[in-house]
Amino acid sequence: MSFFGFNNGHNTAATGFSQAHNPFQGLSGRDDDGDALEFEDTYDGLGDQLEETKDAYNDDTFGDTSDIAAAPVGKDFDFFSQTAKVQNAIEEEHYLFNRQQPPARSAQPAQPVQQMSYGQPSLQSAASYGYTSQGHYRTGYEKYSNDKYNNNEPVPELQVDASLWGVAPKKPAQPAPQVSQQAAQSSSAPSRKILSLEEVEAQMKAQAQAKAAQATPSPAPHAQGPSQIPYDPAIQFAQPAQQQFVPPVDHTRQALPIHVLQRPQSTQAPSPQPPVQPAAHQRQPSSTSVQPTQILQNPNRLSGDAARMGMQQHPTPPVPGPSAPPTQPAHRQQGSFGRQPNIITHPSQVSQLTEEQRAAYMEQEAKRAKRNHKIYLMSRDNGVMTPQDKSFVTRIQLQQLVAATGNPNEHGTDESLTEDFYYQVHSSLQGGQRQHPNQPLNNFAQTYLFQTGNRSGHMRRHRGPENHMQRMEQQVQRAVEAAKNKPKNKQLVIEGSLGKISFSNAKTPKPLLNIKRTESTDDANRPSSAHKVVSAGDRKSDLRTIERIYTILMKMEDHDRVLPPPPTSDTDVEGHQRGMRWSNEAQALNQDLWSALRVYDEPQPGHPHPFVALLSYNKGMKAMNRIFRHLSQEQRTTILTLVIVNLDKLDVVVNAQVTSAAVQLTAAMRENIHIFSNAVMNTLFNFLNELDLDIVAGLLSILSKQRLDIIAKSRIGASMITMILSRAEIIKVNVGNTHPSWQAWDMCHTDFFDRLEPTLPYMFPGSVNTADDIYVWQLLAALGIGASPEQQQRLVLAVKDRVMDTVALSKTLPADMGAQRLQNVNLFMRSIGLDVELLQ
Amino acid sequence: MLFFSFFKTLIDHEVTVELKNDIRIRGVLKSVDQYLNIKLDNIQVVDELKYPHLSAVKNVFIRGSVVRYVHLPSQSVDIDLLEDATRREAANQAVKAK
Repeated sequence: MSFFGFNNGHNTAATGFSQAHNPFQGLSGRDDDGDALEFEDTYDGLGDQLEETKDAYNDDTFGDTSDIAAAPVGKDFDFFSQTAKVQNAIEEEHYLFNRQQPPARSAQPAQPVQQMSYGQPSLQSAASYGYTSQGHYRTGYEKYSNDKYNNNEPVPELQVDASLWGVAPKKPAQPAPQVSQQAAQSSSAPSRKILSLEEVEAQMKAQAQAKAAQATPSPAPHAQGPSQIPYDPAIQFAQPAQQQFVPPVDHTRQALPIHVLQRPQSTQAPSPQPPVQPAAHQRQPSSTSVQPTQILQNPNRLSGDAARMGMQQHPTPPVPGPSAPPTQPAHRQQGSFGRQPNIITHPSQVSQLTEEQRAAYMEQEAKRAKRNHKIYLMSRDNGVMTPQDKSFVTRIQLQQLVAATGNPNEHGTDESLTEDFYYQVHSSLQGGQRQHPNQPLNNFAQTYLFQTGNRSGHMRRHRGPENHMQRMEQQVQRAVEAAKNKPKNKQLVIEGSLGKISFSNAKTPKPLLNIKRTESTDDANRPSSAHKVVSAGDRKSDLRTIERIYTILMKMEDHDRVLPPPPTSDTDVEGHQRGMRWSNEAQALNQDLWSALRVYDEPQPGHPHPFVALLSYNKGMKAMNRIFRHLSQEQRTTILTLVIVNLDKLDVVVNAQVTSAAVQLTAAMRENIHIFSNAVMNTLFNFLNELDLDIVAGLLSILSKQRLDIIAKSRIGASMITMILSRAEIIKVNVGNTHPSWQAWDMCHTDFFDRLEPTLPYMFPGSVNTADDIYVWQLLAALGIGASPEQQQRLVLAVKDRVMDTVALSKTLPADMGAQRLQNVNLFMRSIGLDVELLQ
Repeated sequence: MLFFSFFKTLIDHEVTVELKNDIRIRGVLKSVDQYLNIKLDNIQVVDELKYPHLSAVKNVFIRGSVVRYVHLPSQSVDIDLLEDATRREAANQAVKAK
């Protein structure tokens, strides 16, 4: 249509054009283009899906509109405040949902408590939230311990209660709901609940009245009444008087919506009875005949039921809040409990019993409550974890345990010995006041594994699920294996994390420094250092050699510990092979040690023999005892010979020469001498005591070729001479001197004596005042025993001065010190058949 | 683990722990853990006049990281064994480093 040249595209909604406004008009004008949008194309048709008739839930969704129904809609769009009014209820609901989901499967007793305390969402007191925090849980049976039940005071109240609930509300209320239920069931699908207008109305009214009742302050006579036998403090508190102060007229009307609303819930809610019964109950217009049997079937639940009943006998109004109705407890059966004549199902009946009966009843009741409560507490978390979850957690824990303490089977073996060497050995050295050093941890892990095994053993006999336990054990085994084999990665890169997370355990605390040694530097260092060890005789290389010896020694000691048991028989090929392998390895280690000792190395000019050089270090001396244990007889003899050959070059001999002047040796040297005599001399002495005369004679002849003056003027040298001489004397005593080898010995001895004689007067340390000269007297005694009479004379002549001086000095000394000195001298005098007594 | 192992052998011996804030506490070593946290019993502060607030304290738990020195009773230390333990530890470390 064109008017005055305007095309169709003009604003037809403008004044003067009485056409309906078409928002798509502009588009339709371009029909020619072919791609214009049609309304039918763009509209998704959602509006057609709306169910215009199903507004029944609008109240639930948008809050209580009954108050404002009469008022015009107005412009109050503050929906939030409507929601905010029930926010607490929503929160509670949320919490409860989370809370109830798991136990709903199994934990039956938990239900009444939680639901009841939730049943009054409008009471947002701390008490109604009481169950939210653990601290608010009470045992639930404190009530029974107080004396309220024993004195008569609450009894009258009890009777009043009975008249209030037992008569007025119950009887009229009972039939109506049943009927309406029946009707509701037949009319509406059980899964989906639709309220009729009357129902909604009744509900609204009840809410309004409940609000009114709440507002009126009331003396709450039942709040503490024993009639209620409260099960949970929350219930007790959340049950103020407002409920029973609702005018009785409303009871029927209120009861109607309650039951209707409850029904769907009750079918879902887990019921303690067999599932058939609730259904049967629903169809029974008069449920009285059914109820008692249910009670009889569950006598233990009586107390709980009674408590519930005590509360729900009140015409509990669906308290405002849209979420209230669905959360009403599912126990519709309550209404008929009071009818049971013989079993106490209603608290009011308690008052009709005799004193003893009541006491007995209360006692029983208390027991039941206690038991129920225990079951409740325990079963609250039933089924939270599946068996798989449990085994998973157990595996994690065990893995942690393994990582932290190591494989329990390895304790007391190599693993723990390397990790905890000092403590293990130390405590075993200390006599083992604790047999198992890391008992706490170790035992813990072990006993745990043990228990697992035992438990499965029991189960095998009793029950079926051994499979699971076996699997568990295998898993544990695998976990242990995996933890052992897994390369210890110290750092873990979790996807998305900004850095590396390093974790630690007891065994390997988090390292502060992580220094990676590169192989190249290692290789570069090694040849040069190895070269040095061979060539230079400096302190550093000596020390390195000693360390190498120690390392080999430790290896040998470790090797000794794994000595296989001797083959059981000649046919035990395996055992023989093991023994062979072991001794081959021992042989290899022995060769390592021998070459590390460098006994056969030629000394460089200007340096002592490499082996002797080792003996000038504390560490080297200390190693001697251990070295000897791992050497063959031949090797030991070689070393002894080597020591004697180099005796005049030993650090502790050359640098520890005694002089007549009272020059003190340095503390370090004194310590060295001490260690040498303790470590080396001791070892050599023990070895020497096994040697035969010909070797001893050979040693003495070698010794006499050394610089005897230097050797004899040192404590170590003198001790060495004494050792050799005394060993020969002992052999003489044992075998007798008829042996042909004695001739060789005598020759050696004569030669030796001749060479030593000039040094004899100078062997004493310091002046005569020096008390520490016993080793010299020992040497003289050893010389004297084996000496011929002529040699003895020469001996006496050589040391006569010292003898006389010492005897004279001893007289001036305190008695015990003097006696000591005389005794030392006497050692020598007696060896040549004299006594100091003769000199006095 | 060497030090842990070592300190375990000193349990029930009297030691003096010197902290990084210069307080020296003498007491009987009751326990030690892998972090070298130390539990002392029957303690006595060496310079008691300077730290009077500690004079009423009978036992302490010391975090390992605040310890500067532990003075040992030398007679209860097996030096040779300790040397060997150190060698083993060093060998272990060398193996682990590779």
